[in-house]
Amino acid sequence: MSETVATDYLDCLLKSWSIKSNEPLSWLNQLRARAIDHVSTQRLPTKRDEEWRFTDISALTRLSFQSAQPHTSLRAQDIEHLYLKEAKNSLVFVDGYYSPQLSTHIDPTVLQIGNLSTFLSTHASILESHFGQYARFDNNVFAALNTAFLHDCALIIAPKNTVIAEPVHLLFIATQSEVTSYPRCLIIGESGSNVTFVEDYVSLQEAAYVTNSVTEISLSANAHARHIRIQRESAQAYHLANCAVSLARGSNYQSVSISLGAQISRYNLNVQLIDEAAECAIDGLALISSNQLADTHTSIDHIKPNGISRQQHKCIVNDKAHAVFNGKIIVRPHAQQTNSSQSSRNLLLSKTAQIDTKPQLEIFADDVKCAHGATVGQLDQEEIFYLQSRGLSEATARSLLTYAFGAEIIDRISVSSLRQQLEQTVLNQTRGNKL
Amino acid sequence: MSAVLQSLVNQPYKHGFVTKIESDVAPKGLNEDIIRLISAKKNEPEWLLSFRLEAYQKWLTMKEPEWQNVHYPKIDFQAISYYSAPKPKKKLASMDEVDPELLRTFEKLGVPMHERAALAGVAVDVIFDSVSVATTYKQKLAEVGIIFCSISEAVHNHPELIQKYLGTVVPVGDNYFAALNSAVFTDGSFCFIPKGVKCPMDLSTYFRINTEGSGQFERTLIIAEEDAAVSYLEGCTAPRFDTNQLHAAVVELVALDNADIKYSTVQNWYAGDENGIGGIYNFVTKRGLAKGKNSRISWTQVETGSAITWKYPSCILRGDNSVGEFYSVAVTNNYQQADTGTKMIHLGKNTRSTIVSKGISAGHSNSSYRGLVRISPTAEGARNYSQCDSMLIGDQCGAHTFPYIQVHNNSAIVEHEASTSKIGEDQLFYFSQRGIDAEEAVSMIINGFCKDVFQQLPMEFAVEATKLLSFKLEGSVG
Repeated sequence: MSETVATDYLDCLLKSWSIKSNEPLSWLNQLRARAIDHVSTQRLPTKRDEEWRFTDISALTRLSFQSAQPHTSLRAQDIEHLYLKEAKNSLVFVDGYYSPQLSTHIDPTVLQIGNLSTFLSTHASILESHFGQYARFDNNVFAALNTAFLHDCALIIAPKNTVIAEPVHLLFIATQSEVTSYPRCLIIGESGSNVTFVEDYVSLQEAAYVTNSVTEISLSANAHARHIRIQRESAQAYHLANCAVSLARGSNYQSVSISLGAQISRYNLNVQLIDEAAECAIDGLALISSNQLADTHTSIDHIKPNGISRQQHKCIVNDKAHAVFNGKIIVRPHAQQTNSSQSSRNLLLSKTAQIDTKPQLEIFADDVKCAHGATVGQLDQEEIFYLQSRGLSEATARSLLTYAFGAEIIDRISVSSLRQQLEQTVLNQTRGNKL
Repeated sequence: MSAVLQSLVNQPYKHGFVTKIESDVAPKGLNEDIIRLISAKKNEPEWLLSFRLEAYQKWLTMKEPEWQNVHYPKIDFQAISYYSAPKPKKKLASMDEVDPELLRTFEKLGVPMHERAALAGVAVDVIFDSVSVATTYKQKLAEVGIIFCSISEAVHNHPELIQKYLGTVVPVGDNYFAALNSAVFTDGSFCFIPKGVKCPMDLSTYFRINTEGSGQFERTLIIAEEDAAVSYLEGCTAPRFDTNQLHAAVVELVALDNADIKYSTVQNWYAGDENGIGGIYNFVTKRGLAKGKNSRISWTQVETGSAITWKYPSCILRGDNSVGEFYSVAVTNNYQQADTGTKMIHLGKNTRSTIVSKGISAGHSNSSYRGLVRISPTAEGARNYSQCDSMLIGDQCGAHTFPYIQVHNNSAIVEHEASTSKIGEDQLFYFSQRGIDAEEAVSMIINGFCKDVFQQLPMEFAVEATKLLSFKLEGSVG
């Protein structure tokens, strides 16, 4: 059944696709045309596909969401609370469309940030050499859709040997219902640069919509990037995201991704260590309840020797929620001296909560250190008893322990105002639960 | 050092020889007539024929699985002969009547039956190709009420037990290879331990594949009634051939209340030569049903042979407080491929499972651990611990782990850990400091790596396994 219906969502989008004739650059149109070709040959994944085994997106196939159209009635005071006080530079996108009025910046001499049109004429060759190079869309229908409907993009180019102290805030706000928006980010770290950015997905109303985002990050030799990703979409939303990272020699990528919202969320993170001595640290936290589904698929691909990777993913699952984690670590032949560790820890707070976790190792080199671990459990009775013996109520003890479980990840966020916001969110959520 | 090691890695397969016994071989190909022929040859009752035909119908609708991490040319199921029996002789009453050629084969394999039977106190139900030719110690077992015989014998003598249990753990349509086995299985072992009986000796079978181009489809069924206990050993060696042979066995275990079944395997089918030519395709479905309360099923396997291994001995923990265990060592060398692991399906309350898997890859081989731990909503207080370690020897091989963990009950505690390592230069240096040469050092390190699993094996198997391992891998470190 789903096979026949499945075409609706795609058909609907395919029909609405057209190349804007006034587009000045042909390479971008070519890219979009290539992507739409891939969309037309693919179908939406079902639970029969190994990569989507635990995540049923058949609900999506019954919806006929059109692409979002620009919508600009939003004023700065409406989103006051969403700005980060540390971030001097922020780019705001409403339903996938850049809003210069809401964005604050920008000293273009130090850091080159902006949207696609800002750079299209001045940096065409750089953009062309990076766009669509990392987020492969030949076997990923959602990345292909995003590329086909690409109309704007958040861009950060961190110049050579420059350290940018303040974080850059990339804020994606959903305001419409029953539409699909296509946020896109491209972060280029030139050699020796250092940048921190926050990729933030929020919604101003409880509505059903689809966010299909793609982020590409390319770090040149010895570049550093800190990537903080917060997904707090509406509880009825679908969030389908792909992020691809390419790490050159000696570069360092650190990412913390927090999933709180959306009815169904799927985050694919692919990191490729394409040259020697690259390093990455990937942390994730999914905190979900009611009937949410949060699915995280990561892949860390060690292609060259001496790479280091560390990953910790945690899920706190309550009510009837369902968390999925699939973490793949690949060590290619000759990627000797790779050091990689991965842990997946999961906390089930209710009888009906569900976890499917699969930490996966694929190793083709012998002189490596690779380890992974996974645990699933509930709060430790002895720990609760200990706190109770110190005068805390059972509910408080449980809430505190749950919070502490998640705090390990949140503490890794370097932007303090954001960290505090999130700590509060986690506390509220754990306290509100009928534990 | 590496020259020594090279020569050791390339040791020829010791069990490669063909026994010249006139075989009664069915024409190649698979269709309903062949199944009827097998059934008729074995004088089977009507219900077993319909069991086979049902399985065949299911098989026709199924597709060969492709999800496993192994690669091989498509098997032509019509090019296989599905029945091959040594030429029928008169019923044998004593060992003296066994074909001397056959006995010499076992001699070469190092399984002198008299000796083994007498000294080790083991009853060996010998499967030579597909027909059981000699069964020892049957009398002794019969005294305590244990039935241990070939499955074809059991079909005639104990049809009610076979009808009650056959296909209950692995249904005919379970998977592609199980369906094929159900349609064409020729022989295998049957073991029934009645209520309250602890089997006084380890039961053992020795499988060999002999006729070139014939598939081997055994079927093993072990039933332990309430409070019964049995330890079952299975050993496999196969002679050298250049065409790939298919081996699709099905093993079913049923444990009722408080019963305990321990199933140990040493598998050393022919693995192909150093260029990956030849070797057995080993597609096996093994599953135990811990049906009763406090029952226990334990799988121990040492997998060193076969060009391709596809095998997931599983436990369905249905009874409350039941226990499932899986201990495995999988060694691959040259172009061998192994995709093996286990499934622990927790259904009952307070069920516990332990998984210890050790994979060693050398040469151009690939070994994968694929495991599933499922805690269903009814499995209150379930507990699982899994550990899977890989060792890589050389940079042309691969090690993979695919552990699926599905938890649908919050009172469960599930732990999984995995690591990958190599034999380090510093370890070898330490040994040579102590006057131990590289060869012996490697053997000791590997045995240490596998110790957790070898400890689970019955004594005589542990010795054989240790030898096999050193023999297979000694010196692959360079």
